[in-house]
Amino acid sequence: MTRARFRAALAAASAGLLAIPAVASANAKFDPSTEFKTNAYIPIKIGPIDLSVNKAVIYLLITTFILCVIAPLIVRAGLRARPGRGQNVLELAYEFAETQIAKVSLPAKAMPTWFPYVTTLFLFIAINNLISFVPLPISGEHGGLPVSSLADFGLYAATANINVTLALTIMTFLITHIVGVRTHGSRGYIKTMEPEAPRALKPFIFAIEILSQILRLVSLSVRLFANMLAGHLLIIMAAGFAVLTGSFIGLVAIPFALFFYVLEWVLIAGLQGFIFALLSGIYIGYAIEAPH
Amino acid sequence: MALNGSASDIGLNAAKTLTLGLSTGLGAIGPGVGVGYIMGKTVEAVARQPELRGELLSLTFLGLALTEAITFYALLMGFVAFFIG
Repeated sequence: MTRARFRAALAAASAGLLAIPAVASANAKFDPSTEFKTNAYIPIKIGPIDLSVNKAVIYLLITTFILCVIAPLIVRAGLRARPGRGQNVLELAYEFAETQIAKVSLPAKAMPTWFPYVTTLFLFIAINNLISFVPLPISGEHGGLPVSSLADFGLYAATANINVTLALTIMTFLITHIVGVRTHGSRGYIKTMEPEAPRALKPFIFAIEILSQILRLVSLSVRLFANMLAGHLLIIMAAGFAVLTGSFIGLVAIPFALFFYVLEWVLIAGLQGFIFALLSGIYIGYAIEAPH
Repeated sequence: MALNGSASDIGLNAAKTLTLGLSTGLGAIGPGVGVGYIMGKTVEAVARQPELRGELLSLTFLGLALTEAITFYALLMGFVAFFIG
């Protein structure tokens, strides 16, 4: 089989898999919000803390596996002057992270410490987003396939779960302030937030500054979360529109679903990782060297 | 569940559906203008200085993602009203 034909077959297969949610629910009630329910597959509970393995955890584990096992294997296999395919991808990712994310956002003296963190964020989120558009048989629902014991294929993103994005954001938030206190001392760090303003206005502007620091938590986490959630819901709703409306006219929405699928995969998935890493870098950079 | 089945809830169902549609539609106006503005300005800038194309493009995508996210905040609030409220 030639490569072009293989790619065409792959595209056709993924398009077919995309239509499965619609088929799966032909005899049941179709509710797109059930795609985002996280059932615990392996319940683990330590006191009040719920550490169960659910859909999101599986996606996170796959991402971690790609980053911590496959990428080192490519490096271990030997880097060559004329790079092979795997090395090419790694070099591209590294160069992009260095020139487009770290050098733009971090001051030169912070590069050795925080370049790895920013790059890890970028790769983790981008790969998480990319694999979230691969239909995997862990949706937790049954009955869509000929063999009823197999679980249906479904789309889900770990980053479409507010807990995951909020955890990443809290990490950046804590690092920002720890780095700020480390470089300036706790009193000096508070002083960097003080604006140059008339004395009477200072408390108000300082309060606004504190508020904006806290709102970073919201904007950073909700941007990624809402983007992925909305993208997935659009795809799922458009693909299952015939079932939602109960008529064949709904099939016209399937090209719409394919269009969004390609758009999300090519543009949004990487872009969101880029934005998250870039903003994290900018925040850390500002904490080290205040812009004013 | 998104909508209630009984006939007495028709007002609530209508309000939820209207909220989802209106919040999505109204929330898309501003970012729509913004994304168009960003893209237009990029085209202008590249026309003036074609050699800066690469740098401008990455800046454009940054602005694009930041602007476009506002749509999703509105969409999210619509979903909250529709599915949870």
